This record gives sequence, structure tokens and C-alpha cells, in this order.
Amino acid sequence: MLLPVFTLKLRHKINPRMVAVGRYDGTHPCLAAATQAGKVFIHNPHTRSQHFRAPRVLQSPLESDVSLLNINQAVSCLTAGVLNPELGYDTLLVGTQTNLLAYDVYNNSDLFYREVADGANAVVLGTLGDISSPLAIIGGNCVLQGFDREGNDLFWTVTGDNVHSLALCDFDSDGKKELLVGSEDFDIRVFKEDEIVAEMTETEIITSLCPMYGSRFGYALSNGTVGVYDKTARYWRIKSKNHAVSIHAFDLDADGVCELITGWSNGKVDARSDRTGEVIFKDNFSAAIAGVVEGDYCGDGCVQLICCSVDGEIRGYLPGLDEMRGNLVDTSVEQDLIRELSQKKQNLLLELRNYEDNAKVEVSSPPSEADGQRGVIPANTKLHTALSVNLGSETQAAHAELCISTSNDTIIRAVLIFAEGIFLGESHVVHPSPHSLSSSIRIPITPPKDVPVDLHLKTFVGYRSSTQFHVFELTRQLPRFSMYALTSPGSAGQPLGYVNFTIAERAQRVVIWLNQNFLLPEDTSIQHAPFQVCFTSLRNGSPLSIKIKPSGEITVNTDDIDLAGDIIQSMASFFAVEDLQVEADFPAYFEELRKVLVKVDEYHSVHQKLSADMADNSNLIRSLLVRAEDARLMKDMKAMKNRYMELYDLNKDLLNGYKIRCNNHTELLGNLKAVNQAIQRAGRLRVGKPKSQVIAACRDAIRSNSISTLFRVMRVGTASS
Amino acid sequence: MDLHLHRADYLQVGVTSQKTMKLLPAARPRATQKVVIGDHDGVVLCFGMKKGEAVAVFKTLRGRPVARLELGGVLNAPREKIFVATGSEIRGFTKRGKQFLSFETNLTESIKAMHISGSDLFLGAGYTYSHYCDCRDQHYYLSGDKISDVVCPPGDRLARVTPVLACRDRLLRVLQGSDVLYEVEVPGPPAVLALHQGDGGDSGEDLLFGTSDGRLGLTQITASKPVHKWEVRNEKKRGGVLCIDSFDIVGDGVKDLLVGRDDGTVEVYALDGASQPVLRFEQALSESVTSIQGGCVGKDGYDEIVVSTYSGWVSGLTTEPAHRESGPGEELRLSQEMQSKISSLRSELEHLQLKVLQERDRYQQSSQSGRAQSAVPAFSINDKFTLSKDDASYSLLLEVQTAIDNVLIQSDVPIDLLDVDKNSAVVSFSSCDSESNDNFLLATYRCQANTTRLELKVRSIEGQYGTLQAYVTPRIQPKTCQVRQYLIKPLSLHQRTHCIDHDRPVNTLTLTGQFSFAEVHSWVAFCLPEVPEKPPAGEGVTFYFQNTFLDTQLESTYRKGEGVFKSDNISTISILKDVLSKEATKKKINLNISYEINEVSVKHTLELIHPKLEYQLLLAKKVQLIDALKELQVHEGNTNFLIPEYRRILEEADHLQEEYKKQPAHLERLYGMITDLFIDKFKFKGTNVKTKVPLLLEILDSYDQSALIAFFDAA
Repeated sequence: MLLPVFTLKLRHKINPRMVAVGRYDGTHPCLAAATQAGKVFIHNPHTRSQHFRAPRVLQSPLESDVSLLNINQAVSCLTAGVLNPELGYDTLLVGTQTNLLAYDVYNNSDLFYREVADGANAVVLGTLGDISSPLAIIGGNCVLQGFDREGNDLFWTVTGDNVHSLALCDFDSDGKKELLVGSEDFDIRVFKEDEIVAEMTETEIITSLCPMYGSRFGYALSNGTVGVYDKTARYWRIKSKNHAVSIHAFDLDADGVCELITGWSNGKVDARSDRTGEVIFKDNFSAAIAGVVEGDYCGDGCVQLICCSVDGEIRGYLPGLDEMRGNLVDTSVEQDLIRELSQKKQNLLLELRNYEDNAKVEVSSPPSEADGQRGVIPANTKLHTALSVNLGSETQAAHAELCISTSNDTIIRAVLIFAEGIFLGESHVVHPSPHSLSSSIRIPITPPKDVPVDLHLKTFVGYRSSTQFHVFELTRQLPRFSMYALTSPGSAGQPLGYVNFTIAERAQRVVIWLNQNFLLPEDTSIQHAPFQVCFTSLRNGSPLSIKIKPSGEITVNTDDIDLAGDIIQSMASFFAVEDLQVEADFPAYFEELRKVLVKVDEYHSVHQKLSADMADNSNLIRSLLVRAEDARLMKDMKAMKNRYMELYDLNKDLLNGYKIRCNNHTELLGNLKAVNQAIQRAGRLRVGKPKSQVIAACRDAIRSNSISTLFRVMRVGTASS
Repeated sequence: MDLHLHRADYLQVGVTSQKTMKLLPAARPRATQKVVIGDHDGVVLCFGMKKGEAVAVFKTLRGRPVARLELGGVLNAPREKIFVATGSEIRGFTKRGKQFLSFETNLTESIKAMHISGSDLFLGAGYTYSHYCDCRDQHYYLSGDKISDVVCPPGDRLARVTPVLACRDRLLRVLQGSDVLYEVEVPGPPAVLALHQGDGGDSGEDLLFGTSDGRLGLTQITASKPVHKWEVRNEKKRGGVLCIDSFDIVGDGVKDLLVGRDDGTVEVYALDGASQPVLRFEQALSESVTSIQGGCVGKDGYDEIVVSTYSGWVSGLTTEPAHRESGPGEELRLSQEMQSKISSLRSELEHLQLKVLQERDRYQQSSQSGRAQSAVPAFSINDKFTLSKDDASYSLLLEVQTAIDNVLIQSDVPIDLLDVDKNSAVVSFSSCDSESNDNFLLATYRCQANTTRLELKVRSIEGQYGTLQAYVTPRIQPKTCQVRQYLIKPLSLHQRTHCIDHDRPVNTLTLTGQFSFAEVHSWVAFCLPEVPEKPPAGEGVTFYFQNTFLDTQLESTYRKGEGVFKSDNISTISILKDVLSKEATKKKINLNISYEINEVSVKHTLELIHPKLEYQLLLAKKVQLIDALKELQVHEGNTNFLIPEYRRILEEADHLQEEYKKQPAHLERLYGMITDLFIDKFKFKGTNVKTKVPLLLEILDSYDQSALIAFFDAA
């Protein structure tokens, strides 16, 4: 059992995920963490006498070895590390919803203070790809930005949705770091500089990422899942009802391989083997964990694992010694092993007995309804499942439908579907009332996104009066585009939006792709190229048509740019296309985007005006205050009263102004997000190199404020015509 | 002295019931003892430990489940005879395994409780108690509720035979012959009885009891009245007590109390100078502890606590240190023992695996044929659905002999499922799409590997009744699931009690009509928990109940053709009226329902609610302030500038937050009850005041007792 080498109790709260250890003076590691009221505290246990004195920093009134840094804004992310290698010590980076501060704690000076309109939800510090100097990379609303030591914006790209987590990891084992981005649309994207090299879809928002070693990295989701990926393949994952607040890679058992250390919302810390996910160590705190970091906090040359809880408790653990390699949990592993083996034996014996009992029943009597109580059903009972598209009725919206039926007179008592991402929780239950039990059940399914999903079905089969049921377990895959129904060509109006591209594939292969990704009726036969298939979306009834010419030119007609992107990405991975240039037009969407861009300009100007007003007002306040105080000294009470009344009114105005500014800001953020998403969507219409070219070209267009170029890039994929 | 005990597992048998494992007396002090245990397969196994290996002394054939196992023998001689209760039969074995007794009692129900003293045999089966002497019928008693345990203080020391029954209606019934001498009310439904110190203590009359809500107590059963000695309340919310033993494990010359609970906790209480219990040791096993006894099994010279668990594990918590300080050779030998044990287990497993694979194939093949049938394997579920008084919610406990895969919870009444900290299972709530399916709650619990126990908390609303169903699927092949049903009764938050305050203003509901005693009893049993299934003996009966949430009470007196229900809470009466008339209509019985409403009772109930509501409001307010105050504290560095009230909040912050967390939605529930009270008050007057409810909620938002009472009076 591993015991903490030190335990501290600070009297400051710690915000979850905002803890970092840095050597701010170049030698002594100090712990920096965000606390309440927009403050960051720095705990320096090494030099008691030295304190930072400056406007930003003040000595904590609660503890002698803690200094407080006033940010005056809610801190949204925090990290520490080497930003300027020449300095020889670490820089503290603090991100808020509007700014990024790079702070030199030792000299008490700002390295830079940059405004970031898209906010900073996550921050990571390190070198990325071929960029030589270390970058502070922040992830905001759909945007990634990297700043060097002077605050120059050296890296910029967009991603699918709001960024929640970032990590640097050598993903493709080329010796250079790639950027891992976990975002709100459940995707983990891997950026090789500004090119996306891989995308993994998870089942919930990715809240944390951490590099393990080599190409391996750990991840945590907001639904309580933690796991480890090696490149694009998931090694293992586990799910808990608690949330993983912080994950960190640390070699706790000194076997040379990092374990995944997870800090949970219920105060538990556990270390799991990177290969199997097996728990090798755990400890409990009285409050939720805020962060897990590492550092030589004792100053004895050994790196400790440092776990912090939200109420300020800090524990440090030294890695286990060599002799207790791989053996931290208990001294009596053998006892546990024996217990486990015995349990297995018991289970096997039980199973054997089940078969014996079963054999007895077989010889006794023919099946009848009365046997239902005991849970006896004909042995040849089979379960059929079928997926189809239901166009809905007046009372029910259109949906994909799963039909389950038994092969005889047995009934289905309940169906449990475990599938992630398409239901509210991880499961969906169908439990008919006792008087409407039958041998078949139809389950409507409406996946909110176009992703392929494995449905793990557990069906309880028995008779009406049964108290015991057979559980049939099977897995069906719901195709990616299950929410589209096949219609006859020309029945609905042709959508105006389209994408056009050419792939060198035979038409039959495209048909196979169609069959795998859509729910086509069984009797559908598709003629040879050229052909056209039409679908209607079950979500909003909008049409979709896919046309293929003998030359391999494919046209997809839809007004939904996301759908077009999904289709192209799906085809590209199916046909293993590496680079694909696409011609596209989405008039309705582009028009909307144009409006958004106009709005962004408006909000920007309003923002500037409001800021100017505020500056004016603050001058006014100063003069009013002086005049009021003058009047007081002159004992001119009436004038003083008037001045203060004016001041009061001005204060009210300021408050109102602040509210307007806030509203303006959120609107602006929303619109900026829309713009970023548009760029991302335009990128998703292409594959490989053309994709990164489009994103870069779009960005240039926005920088040069040339809307027409932007749309041309989105249409044809390049800026030059 | 701290007590350090190490767990050592001996072996596993089938599923065991409560009190089915005993240690045979040792030949000499502190020598190893043999363990005898009976399981649900009906096998009685006697074994001893030799060099870390379990060696069987004897093993009987499979039969009906063993419900109890006791030791007996000639008085004042070692108790070496093994008595086993299976079904309605008592069997006796010698310590060598020779059967010397097979006694068919002809009881209609299977035996649940047994006590043996010399040639006296005391049995409890369902509601009936029987006393046999040398297998001849002596006495008989029909109890008011189910008997969960029976014990008889040593007759030779007291010169009287006064067996004590633990009955589910929170009473200990002290019998003499076939009659009740007197009854002792205990704070919860008693689950187990034991003689203090193993022989009734100094007086020979001291009796320990453990309740299914986790309390522990000592009472002296004198010839005329009970003398209450002490009670250990269940502050830490541990599980119900399943077994008690007395053994000096601490080694101070005084016998300690060993307690096993249904949440897997094993506790040791030492008795201090004033003979009060002090908790000395606590360890959590993963499943219910069904039997516990102190003795010596693993190695002579080392005392230990031997426990058996629900799934049949026999383990020792031994004082023998895990790492002995002797030479390194010893250690090596120890691990070699382990290694050989592991390798033999492994080879056994391989063998079994092969056999199972063959059988699996056979099973698969059989599913091809048209005539064959497939039966689901039966597995036993240990379940408990109890109302916990502290937070007025139900706790549902499910325990299976093998690991649980998932549990589906379905309910046709609106209930809230609360999170239990101990659970590691991932819960997921499913949408209850159409109302035609009668589903108000559908939730799945997906358990982590090796979970054999699941605990849930359910909050019900009085007046809404129906069934809660749990579909339990264990990880066992072939995959099956079992349904368990639990009734949520209309007055679900009421609890049986035996004394009430008769001075309160009451509302009365009177039923008259052509119905039998059994019928009216079944209605009461339908409406209220903790009512025995069978109608009690006699012409009529009176039951008292208490509302665990509001502390209002209900008195129900009924006999053939008449039923009178009195409560100081008008809502209780209203619910009863609705349910009873519905039930009677279903059975097509003509009922005359008359009621007498006492206006004062409404004010009285509001006064009962007042302190609770005020406390909750204050608590909520304080908790709201904590964060802001803490921030101020950080900012200013000290709290001297704050008014004392705020300073106190800061000092008690942790405690307040804990308190607040313990009672989720307490305030909402109180508001709900006040609203019900308001509606019900006017329902009896024949006016519908639903439109005024928003006004009431407004008043509650800015709560003031007099304003609320005025509103009730005015409307």
C-alpha cells in the first residue's frame, strides 16, 4: 500500500482542472491553482520569507506560504511551463473567457496579455510540430490559437465545436508533437500543425486528454468514462457513475511504464494500468478531486504525484520502490487470486448445474403455458430483429424502427438497449404494460446525429405469468444514415445545394456503400451507373439525392452542408480516398453566413463604441468624485448631494452599459462560433490536403475581410479562380 | 489496544441463510475448532483447517435448503450435536456426521427460527411458535406477525422457561407455556436474538436483539417486566443486523459483542466498565454476513472471528499476523502453500471449463430440436425493501450469489430514485415514452464486475400507489433474469408503532357495511405497510401507525362490519377514504363511509410541520451564504468583521453542507404535503381549491407560520 509522503491542507478552495506545478524561480516547484473570486493562488513551501509584492500579487491573509494573484475575472484554464527557454524558469498561463495572461511570477511582470475573443476553455504549453519556439495553445469556441513568448499568434485553426480539452502527444511517432483536441461534439481530433490527421468519435464531451507515452494517450468524458487510446485504436475504457475530473500519466509502481491516474468527482484517486485498465492503486479524499499533477514538491530530487482536492487538501505520493513492483494494492494478492479463482469455480459449477437441471426439465413434459412461471420455454425459440424506416403517422414523427419478434408463442417482457450517444442516458428500455404483451415489439429509434451506433440488445423472453425470463443478448449496428428514407426520384423538389466530386470507383462499390450506410428496403435493386437515388430526411423532411455518372463523377444534392460533409467523409473512409477536391454550393447556407458576417462587423463596432463610452464615463466619475469631495470640504452640502446624485445616476448608466456589453459580447461569441463552424464545415467537404488548404484559405479571407473570396474558397476549394 | 484482524478465506459453499454456521467446541482451550455449515442446496458440511487446506469431516447429500443450524447436547456438557432445520423437518447429526435424529414436525410452514436447550426444542415457522420436549409437542402459540427468531434464556438457571419471540411487528413476545407473559417494544423490526455473553449474562436474563434497520440493544427479561439496558443506534446507516455472537476477541477477559450486518459490515463492540458497548473494530466485506462466531479455526493459539456470507464464503478475521516475524524460511513455506493451492485450483478450473464447454455445446444442439425445452436456471436473490425512518424513503437491497450484470427498475407509480454513494453501478434513466405502457420510471443499473450487491433508495409520495419491479440479470450462462415485485402502498410513509399520543385532535373516518373481518383486514394491509398478511386472531384489532415524515399518527380499529380510522392528519384520512372506496367498489361491496373532520387538527398538523419547515428554510439560507462568506474570508483574511451569526455559519459550514446534502428535496416534499393538506381540507368541505394553490405556494415562498394558518382559515 502506498502512503502519501506529505499531506497539506490549504484553506483555499481549488477550482476543478485548474492546477499546475511550475518552477517559477527556476528551481523550486510551486503549486498554482485557480480559486474563488477570480484569483489564482501560488503555494510556495520552499522559501517562507520571500513574498511577491506588487499590485497584482498579495499575500494570502490565511496562510503564510500562499500568495494570491488577482485576475478579476473567472479563470477558465491554467497551466505552467517553459514559454521562453531563455528565461530559464517557468511561466504561468492563465486563461479567462476573454483574455490570456502569460505571467512571470518571479519578476512579477506580464509576458503578454492578449485579448482572445473566442475565450480560452483549455490551454496547453509546449512545442507543436515544426514550430520551433514553445507555444501556449488555447482552445476556445471552435478555435485553436497558439501564442509564442511575445504573444504573437503563430498558430490558428478551427475545429468542429467548442474545445474542452487539449493535449500534446507524438501521435504518429515521428518525433514531433501533434495536438489532440477534445470538443463538445464528442470528437477527438488530431492536428498535425493545422491539418487534421485523425478523428475519433466518442460518446460524450471529452473533458480531459493527457499524453501517456509514445503514441498513447488517455482521455476522459463527461459521462464518467476514462480510457486509453493508442493512435486511433482504443485500448480500454471503463465507465463509472462519477466523473473523472483530472487525468494524468505517472509511473506510480516504478515499472517504467506510466499508469493513468484519474481523480474523480467523489474524491477517489485511482491508478490504472495503461494496458488493461486494471486498478493498481487507489486512495480516497473527503472532497472531489480538483487536479492531479506531478512535481518534486519535497525538493529531494524525486518526482511525486500530487493530488489536490477542491477543498484544498493536497497529498503527494512517491512511486513505489523496486521491490514492490506492480504490487501496490494489497500484500495478500494471493488471497485475492484464490478468492477470484474460487468465485470462477463456483460460477462454472453453477452453470454446470443449470445444464443438468435443464436436461431434467427436457425429459419431464412437453412445453405448455403453465411452465412459464418457472421460466421454461421451447428450446428452439429464436429472436428475429429487423431495422427499417418508418415514415411516421399523424401522432408519431418519422423514425427508424427496430422490430424484435420471437419465433413462437413466447412473449417479450422487456427490451433493454444499451447504446451510447443516441439516447438520453446509455440505455433505452421498452417495457410494455402487462395487458399489451406480445411476441413482437417495435421500437422507434431517432438518433440525433448521423453516426453509426452499435445497439446492444437484451431481450427478456418468457410467458405472461413468468417471474423468470430468458435473456437473449445480441448486437445490431444502426447504419450511419438511418434517418433517411428512400424515395422515388423527382417526387420532391431538387435541393439547391450540391457538392460535386469524382472518385475512381466502380458503381457497384458505391452501391455497397449505400447498402451499408442507409436503411434500404430489401427489394431495392440498383441499376448500373449512371443512376440516381433519392432520400428524404426523417428529421425535417428535406430531400437528399445522390447521382453517379459512368465517369465516376458523383453529385450529392442537399441543402444541409453537415450532411454533405458526413457523406463525403463516410465515402472517403470507405473507399480509402486520401485527397479529395470538391466543388460545392449551398446558397441558403452561404446567405445566412453572409448575414452573420455582417452582424459580426456590427457587434464589433458596437463593442468598440461601448468601450469608448466606458472610458469616458470613468473620467467623468473621477471628476464628479473630486468635485463632490471638494463640496464636502467646503461644507456645501447641497452641491455635494447633487454631485453624489449625479454619480449615482452615472453608476446606474454604467451598470446598464455593462449589461449591454455583456449581451453584445455573448451575441458576438455566438456569431463568431457560427463563422468558425462554417469554415470547419467547408473543410469537412474536402478530404486530406484540399481540406487544410480550404481552412487556411478561408482564414486568410476572413483576415483580409474579403467576403467574396471566402465564399469562392468555400465553393471551389481555392482562393485563386 | 487497537484490534488488527486479517481476513483469511477458507472455502465456499452454496448460498446460506441467517444463522447456519457454527463452530464445534474445541477439545482443549484455543485449539482449532471444526466449522459446520448448512446451505441452500441442503448440504451440511463439517470441515477443519489443516495446513491452510480445508479438510472435510463429513458432508451430507443435497436436499431442501437449510434454514437454521444450531448446536445442542446434554445440559452442562459440551454442545456437540448438530441440529439442522430444513423445511418442516429437524435433523440431528453427531460431530462425526452420523444422523441420529429425523423429526418431522408437521408444521405447515417451513421452519425459520430454532433454539435448542437440552432436550427442549423451540421453533418458529411463519406465524406459529411450537415448543417440543424430546420431540413431543408441549406448547403452541400463534403470533400477531411473522417470527424472525426465537431464543430461550437458560431454564436451568432461572428455574422457569420463558422463550422470547422476535416478531416483525417490532415486538419481542415473552411467552410462558402457550401464553404471552408480556410484550417488549423495540425500536425496529427485530431480526435476530442472542443471549448476552452466550448464557444470558450475570442474571441469565439479558437478551441482545438486532433489528433489520441496524439497531442493537440489550434488554433484561425478568419474570414480570423488561428492563431496558442500552441501545446502539444506527448513526452510520449501516445495514440490518443478521447475526450476533459473544466472544472475547480483544483479549481483556470480557466477552465482546460480534455483529454481522446485511451490508457486509462486521463489527466488534467491547463492553466498558459500565457495561456499555464501545465500537472497537469494523470491517466491510462485500456481501451480507449471515453467521458470525468467535473461535479458533485457522491456526491454534490465534483467536478469530469466523463469518459466513450470503454467497457461502466461510472466512476468518484472525488475530494471526499476516506476516509473521519468524525467519524467512517460514514465509517461503507459506507462499509455497499458497502456490500449491492456487495451482490446484487452476487445474480444477481447467477441468471444469472443459466440462462446461461440452455441456454448452449440448445445450446449443438441443436448441435445434423442435421438441426440447429450455428452462432458465433458478438463482436465489436476497432482497429487502424497507422504509428508513431517518429520511422517510425506502431502501431496496438486492443481493445475488453471483455477480450482477444489470438491473432494470420499473415502476407504475411516480417515484424518485435517489443516488446511493456506495453504489458503483452506472445508472441510466430511460424515457417513459407512452403513458399507455403504465411506466413512470424505467432505469437500468449496469453493474461493475464483481458486484453482487446493489442498494437503491426510492422516495415515494403518499396517496400514489402501485408496484415497483426489479428485473435482475446476473452474469451467468445461460443468461436469465428474475423479476421481483415490491408494493408501494397508499400510505407508504407510515410505520407501525405501539403507543400514540391520544390527546391530539383527530379526524375520524368510519366504515360500515357488509364485510368480513378478513376483508377489512386485507384493505388495511393493502393501504399500510408492516401489517401482517393474516388477519390476527380475535374479533377485532387495533393498529397504530406513525407517519415517518411528519410524525402524525393513525389509529385503525376494525372488526367485522365496522372500521374506524383516526388521524390528526387530514390528508391521511383523505387518502384512506379514496383507496377504501375504490377497493370496495372493485369487490362490489356496499360501504357506508362517514367522516368527522376536526378543524383544529389542520392547525395542529401545521404546527407539527412548522419546526421542520423552519429548520429547512434556515438551513437552505445558511448553505446559500457559505460560499459568499468564504470568499469574504479569503479576501479579508479573518472573520472578525462579520457578525457572530455569520461567523457561526462559517464555523459550521462543513456540518451544514453535510446536513443539507443528506436531505435532498426535503423542502419540496414539505411544500407538497402542505399543499395536499390544503386541498384535502377543502375537499372534505366539498370545495375545490386547486385554483388557490399558486397563492399558497406564494405564501410558502415567504414563509410565516401565522400567515400560513391565516390563509388556511380564510380560504
